[in-house]
This record gives sequence, structure tokens and C-alpha cells, in this order.
Amino acid sequence: MSAADVIATDVTRVLADGLAHAGGAAANDALHAVRERGAERVRALGLPERRQEAWRYTSLGFLQRADYRPFMDGPFSELQMSDIEDLLLEGHQGPRLVFVNGHYAPALSTPGRSGDGLRVSTLAASGADALPADFDQIAAHGHVFSALNAALAADGALIEVTPGTELSDPIDVLHVAVGADEPVIFHPRHLFVIGQGARAALIERYASLGDSVYFNNVLLEIAVADGAQLRHECLQQESPLAQHLDDLNVQLGAGSTYRYTLAALGGEWSRCDITLRFAGEGASAELNGLMLARDGQLNDVHLDIDHAVPACSSRETFKSILDGRGRVVFDGRIRVARDAQKTDAALANHNLMLSRAAEVDTKPTLEIFADDVKCSHGTTVGELDKDMLFYLRSRGIAEPAGKRMLCQGFAEDVLHNFDDAAMRARAAHLLDQRLARSSE
Amino acid sequence: MLLSIRNLKAEVDGKAILKGVDLEVRPGEVHAIMGPNGSGKSTLAHVLAGRDGYDVTDGEVLFEDQDLLALAPEERAALGLFLAFQYPVELPGVNNTHFLKEALNAQRRARGESELDSVAFLKLVREKMQLVSMKPELLKRQVNAGFSGGEKKRNEILQMAVFEPKLAVLDETDSGLDIDALRTVSDGVNALRSPDRAVIMVTHYQRLLDYIEPDFVHVLAGGRIVRSGDKSLAKELEQRGYAWLSDGEAA
Repeated sequence: MSAADVIATDVTRVLADGLAHAGGAAANDALHAVRERGAERVRALGLPERRQEAWRYTSLGFLQRADYRPFMDGPFSELQMSDIEDLLLEGHQGPRLVFVNGHYAPALSTPGRSGDGLRVSTLAASGADALPADFDQIAAHGHVFSALNAALAADGALIEVTPGTELSDPIDVLHVAVGADEPVIFHPRHLFVIGQGARAALIERYASLGDSVYFNNVLLEIAVADGAQLRHECLQQESPLAQHLDDLNVQLGAGSTYRYTLAALGGEWSRCDITLRFAGEGASAELNGLMLARDGQLNDVHLDIDHAVPACSSRETFKSILDGRGRVVFDGRIRVARDAQKTDAALANHNLMLSRAAEVDTKPTLEIFADDVKCSHGTTVGELDKDMLFYLRSRGIAEPAGKRMLCQGFAEDVLHNFDDAAMRARAAHLLDQRLARSSE
Repeated sequence: MLLSIRNLKAEVDGKAILKGVDLEVRPGEVHAIMGPNGSGKSTLAHVLAGRDGYDVTDGEVLFEDQDLLALAPEERAALGLFLAFQYPVELPGVNNTHFLKEALNAQRRARGESELDSVAFLKLVREKMQLVSMKPELLKRQVNAGFSGGEKKRNEILQMAVFEPKLAVLDETDSGLDIDALRTVSDGVNALRSPDRAVIMVTHYQRLLDYIEPDFVHVLAGGRIVRSGDKSLAKELEQRGYAWLSDGEAA
């Protein structure tokens, strides 16, 4: 049996375990059908192979080192507010939904009243109720992990902001991982629908209590309807031993605005797949991301931006900081369809290497089939500037602190896009803390 | 003695630049070091601040009787040495106020003094900003990024005012300044003159000395101080140039 067979067997086993654990049919027929299709797709796709471009630089070696089991039950039901106190956002007023190991934790959540322009439910509680119409209509399920999520997702947030509603406070979706004795895998699945002309802000966070091994296999679908606006801010601070996959699927209606800011700081293996499709004319998207890859960390971002219709604009700026033997993969693809005239797109990837042993594989791609467009891409890979460092030292700031200050400066381009002050402060603090630990 | 430089020799990329510099500076004194381009003026300033790439091959530098050359740049700063850069470095993304506060507190920590909290620090900075007529919004900007030449130099003098060094080395602080900016920067330096603070001005032109009056003027040529005098020496240099002082090597 070859190494590849061993891995392929594992995923099928994860699927079988998961299905057995789910105990057969879901109460909801529509959900049941989605799960069936997911399971079929897992069997059809199998694990990605290295010769697939999208996985060429993304090692899946961790699947051979740990035997991931479905998360059964346990500590999440015993968690109390005091356990997650440090994770609460300062000054946050809006709804908070907490998921512990992929399961909704009502005792830790304050979903707010439904009504007031907001409908909040969860996948597990949806029961026989109809799923929102957009459920499973946006996700592309381009790889086996996304399909695995479709087959096995047990819980997640289903949030609809009704047309014309302006939410004053962001919705905070906090994922907390609690270590189990053995490596576990969970598959939270969320849907956010921002109705026509509505305005909302979504905060998506991943944190852990303790440093344990787990695979957080997340799927998000986001539909921003015509004329709606969504600000989406994500802070990923998973356990340093965790695997994290965030399969983000966004669909933008005509004249809508979507602003996404990501700080991916944690995890041993972290991958963010962003598939964004312009479905109506005159929409705009701005995506900013910061990735940190310290020694032993892999941080991977894949963008698939589909300018399918005319007159949309997108800005993608992703920056990474690498230390030790850290690895970053950036695979950014913008596709401009034949009819998508007047597209305006700019893709940038900037990498700061603190160590010669680090590695970045970056591949910005523009595929342009229209002729009247404005598109650009730019990539840089550089080291810390010696003159800047000397300037700081000549002012009394020793080298380690000076390096961290320059890294913060490099990250600022991305972090200043966090509108939520508490998110911005947390991301900056975590970056500083992790860089400090890295240089010890 | 605040600073004693004895027979200092230094090279850059294997090329001898300083060939035996001697200089003594007492608290309260203002020294001007003048000289033609390539004479080693900026090298001297950078060797004092501890920049990499300048190899000291002989001699010694004592700062209040401590071996300055054995110290890291940040340790020199904490001792009270300040270099105002000829070309202040831009720090993208680094907030000017944050930078100033971190730097001041790093120096204070190294000296065993208590750190200033945000309120005390802002009060101090507001006071010092008036010395250099700096627009308050420059504090909110990124360090030197997009600053005009004059704003960068003012920012250097603001740092000097905040850090209150014992010895400030001003490296070609007059370069690139128009008359108004030169006057503002000079006023700032003059306001910081005190019996316990010394200044070394490195400059190519006499012009700066019209605004900041030195106690001593030295001519550095060919890697050595070839003549020292009072401010009348600067006038003489203005009329006669540098060539008459040296053996042609530095003309």
C-alpha cells in the first residue's frame, strides 16, 4: 500500500466515522439531501494530490501524523462564561454566537431577539424547518474538505438580515476549541444572508482553550443581496497545534459592497479558501489579509475571484510575515469573464521574511477574457530594512523590540481595516505576542 | 569630560576614512565639525552612534569615562547620546507618537527610571512640540513617511527635545532646508542648549553657524582634524574654502 493509499483511506474512514456518529438521517429532508451529495462528493474527489495546482504547496502530511476522530460530546456542555471571559470583545453590544468544537453553545451565547430585522437560528436546531433558500447554493465544494463538511456538518449559524435592515452592532461568531484526549475533527457550517439594501457587520473568530490537536474544518456561505453592505472581519488564533481550514464562499448582488479583513495568526496548518463571485453589476469587494507563519507553521490563502459580470471592482491585498522555517502559500486568482467589461481589479501580495529558512510560494494570476478592463497585480518578497532597524536602535529601542515594531508597521496596512477597535487591538496584540515568543 | 575621542581610526569596506581623530567635548559646549565632502564627517557621526559597517581599527571613544565603542546603539542612546540623521528614515506603518513613547520608555527602562504613562507622555510631547513649531497632526502620522524635508528634520529635533540627551550629534541637519525651516530647526536646537547638554554639529556650510553659534569649530579633512578654532575660523573658511588647510587630499 502506498502512502497515498493510506491518506485516502483515512478520509473515507473520517467520513464513515462521521456518518456513523450522525446516526443516519437528518430530521430535515433538505439537509439530508445536502449531506448525501456531500458524501458522494467525498468518495468521488478523494484527497487532493500534489499535482493538483491548488494543493501543490500545501502539505497534507498532518493527516498521516494524527488519526482524527469525530468530536463526540463532552467538555463543551460544561463550559461556563468564566472560561471564555478573556475571549469576549471589549465593548461588544451585538449578538454573540459561540460554537464549542463546532457545536452551538447556548449558555455562552447571546443571540438577541429574532425580529428586529434579524433571523438567527442554528443548523442543529433547524429540525424540520425549511433551510434558508441560499443554503448550499453558494458553496462550490471544490475540494474534499468542503465536501466532507457538507456531508458531516452537525451545527452552525444560520443568520439572515432582512432586506433594508441596518444593524448597528456587529454579529460576533466565536469558535472555541477545547482539547480532547485524541485528535478530533469538527465541521461547523454557517450561512449569512444579507438582504437587499441591508447593512451588517460580521465578526468571525477562532480561538482555543489550551494547546491541543484538532482539525477545524469550516464552511461559510455568504450571500450579499443587491445594494447590501457587509463588513466581515476574521481573527484566526487557533491552537499552535491545530489544523484550520476556512472555506469561504461569497456571492455579491448588484451594487453590493463586501469588505473582508483577515488576520490568520494561529494553527500549525491554516488554509483559507476564498471563492467570491460577482453575480450582479456594480458591486465592489475589498479583501485584506495578514498571515503569520512562524517556525513550523504553514499559512495558506487561496483566492478565486470571479468577475462574472460587468462594472464590478475588487481590491485584494494580502501580506505575510514569516519566521524560522515558516511557510506561506498565496495563490490569488482573478478571473474576468468575456462580458465583464469595466472591471477594475487589483491584486497584491507582500511578504516579509524574518528568516532565510522560511519559504513563500506566491502565485498571483489574472485571467482576463474581456478587453475593456483595469487589472493589476503586484508581489514583493523582502527582508527587514537594516536602516530602519538602526534608526530604531539609535533611539534606544533594542533589536528584538525594533523588529517587532517594524513588523507591526508592515501589518498595519491590513490591520487598520478592522473597523472594530477591539478586533484591531486584539490582532495587533496577538501578532506582537507571537512574534515575541518566536524570537525567544 | 563628556566625550573624549582619541586617535580614532575607522574604515568602511576596507577603505580608511578616519585616520586618527582627536576631540574633547565638555558639557554645555557646542562644537561644529566642518569639512569638504568625503572628509569623514558623517562617518564620525555614525561611528559615534554605532552603525554597522563602520570598522573601528584603532583609538578609543570615552563617554563619561565609559568605553562607548563597546556598547550597542540602543545602550548609547540610553546613556544620553543622540544622532540627528542627515536622512531621517521613514518607518511605514509605525505611528510617530507610539514610536516616540516606546523609544523614550526604552531609554528610561535602561536607565532604571520609571516609564511615562500615556498622559504624562502626551503632556511632555505637546510641550516639546512648541519648541520646533511642529504641526500636531505629524504626531498621528507614520514616522517620517511622506514628511517634507523640513518636517523630517523638525521631527529629529523633536526627538532630541523629548529624549533630552547629554550629547546631540547633528549630522548635516541644515541640508535640504530652506531659510524658514533652517531658522525653526535652529531655534529648536538653541532652546535645548543648556549647561549640561553638548552639541556636535556636522556641517558642510557656514550657514548653519549663523543660527547656532558654536563655541568651537574644527575642520576635518582627509580623516583628521586639521585645524580647530573659535567661530571666526568658520568665517575664514567661508572666504577661503577648505583647500588651504590640507595637502590637496581633501580639496
